[in-house]
Amino acid sequence: MSISKLSTVLAASYENFPKGRFITLVVLRTTHSETIFRTEGSGEPMCSEFVQAGLEGENQKTIIQRLVMTKRKQVAPERRYGREHLRAHELLYTNIKDGSLCSLNTNAPCEMCVDCFLYGFAAGGGGAQKSRIWTEDAFSILPASDVVGDRTINAIYENGTMRDEKGNASTALNTSEYIKPGVHFLDVVTLKDVTADELRYIIGNILFTSRYGAVSSRVGRMENEILGVFGSITELPSSLELVQATYDVLGKPLEHPLNINQLITASKQVIANWKNKRGVSVQLSEEELANLLTDVETNWSEAERDNFLKRLTQSYEPFRHVATEKKKAKAKGKNTPVEVES
Amino acid sequence: MSTIPFQQAKLVELYCLEPVFFASRELSDTYYTEGVIGNYALTYALGRVNSPYRLQGQATGRPTYKEDFQPIAQDFYILPASPVGRVTFRFERFNALSDAYWYAMTNNRVATAREDLPLQRQGKKPSSFRPSNFPQTGRLRMIERRNKFQTLVFGNHQLPTYIRLGKFMSKVQVNVLNEFPVTLLPEGEYQSQHYLNAADLPQQIEALAFDLISIPPAPIIKNLHFRGAAWQIGEMIVPAGLHFCGRESSNE
Repeated sequence: MSISKLSTVLAASYENFPKGRFITLVVLRTTHSETIFRTEGSGEPMCSEFVQAGLEGENQKTIIQRLVMTKRKQVAPERRYGREHLRAHELLYTNIKDGSLCSLNTNAPCEMCVDCFLYGFAAGGGGAQKSRIWTEDAFSILPASDVVGDRTINAIYENGTMRDEKGNASTALNTSEYIKPGVHFLDVVTLKDVTADELRYIIGNILFTSRYGAVSSRVGRMENEILGVFGSITELPSSLELVQATYDVLGKPLEHPLNINQLITASKQVIANWKNKRGVSVQLSEEELANLLTDVETNWSEAERDNFLKRLTQSYEPFRHVATEKKKAKAKGKNTPVEVES
Repeated sequence: MSTIPFQQAKLVELYCLEPVFFASRELSDTYYTEGVIGNYALTYALGRVNSPYRLQGQATGRPTYKEDFQPIAQDFYILPASPVGRVTFRFERFNALSDAYWYAMTNNRVATAREDLPLQRQGKKPSSFRPSNFPQTGRLRMIERRNKFQTLVFGNHQLPTYIRLGKFMSKVQVNVLNEFPVTLLPEGEYQSQHYLNAADLPQQIEALAFDLISIPPAPIIKNLHFRGAAWQIGEMIVPAGLHFCGRESSNE
């Protein structure tokens, strides 16, 4: 089991204070259908940004507009994926406030389930948990102009025309931008102080989440692939630098759609140098990475999943007593109490 | 005030690899970031002190800056980061959604209890339709990617290459530009170009004129013209005796 190779940067159990253990996942995200990432509402252009094309030579001077997949558009569907299974295996807790089952954005998280412990929550006044999963804006390799298309949307009436029975014309006509299928985003995901089972849970969420962005019941199909796993005591380069360095290696001319194998080879060539970065202690080899992914799939498999999720849930048990026995909690409860002036 | 606690200081550049957001000011549903990065935030971000992953009970009532900074204050200090050139901002809209299949945008809240819908149609207000006190939609003014900030780090410390800042843990690159010895200048009238934290100023100095950026947790002072002792770091001048929460005892 190659997860043991990461043992130096894995936590033995959840602890409330950070301890400088970083695990970095290099993720390649590829659109498999039309996809929509925008931050300014419907009808607005895709989320994009002017950045240096590359880090060396001419590429450094060239400014191109790249598509951006923002942090929150990555992490929201991924944590929801994990929550689906927590719900199915009845591992979501009810919150103390109104006794409702843990649910996102209702101002009453249960504060006790795997999702709450890992991805965090902020409940008004009642406390908060920081996320231990740090995402980054992911960038497309090719310029936005190469990989964005236009679609005209018209919603016709049930009689099959743009006019209803009274002869009124439909106003449902619109043009909207979309990201073409086969567009690659390179991404760096940083995990802090996670345990082995938490790592399996997070990797599972990333690998199995298949839809991102707006209108994800119709479009937004995306495939994620993990290209590298590092253990370190500091953060590794950003996804922007990764995209730029990969762009340099790929060389010109580049055209949509990119050859995915060439792209993977180029990215792996870039991250191979990260081994020498300050603070890096572990890099998984190809074989170890494959083993890790098999390990994740095994734990998430039909046969193991119940076991795996319950084991993970169980690992937070020592931290749950605080909430259930309110009075005692103040007296002993937490391992690392923060003293408050009286 | 004759001894200097810090032998040297590093001039550090912070390069924003991602848009950075702090809730410096909140106007209706728009959340503004000021063009400055507070030194307390930087101290946590650089890993000099840690804050817990989870806050519970009384610990949510007030921050623990004093307790956190006291052990390191003897050999570490950092100034609030001031922008290099003009700061550029971007606006972004955000909206939060539930993980339920059915949901309704009600009074600043995403309601998910579909069984409450008939009640609501009768004119009653089920609890899931009442407003909650945290934003579900709004606009963010963020410091744009590629902005640069400068700050001075006192003391001889290794700094990480990348740090995370703000509400959304945005990645920021840390470049050490230069290192200078810290020298003490005698009492006199000086002008400081750097941003300073009002809570960290020494008690003895006399502030003659300054501009104030009013943000939590402590106001930031710029263009300070003061009388008192000063530290010189290369060409730069700051009041001598800067210290985390150095002004605290005056208001207790």
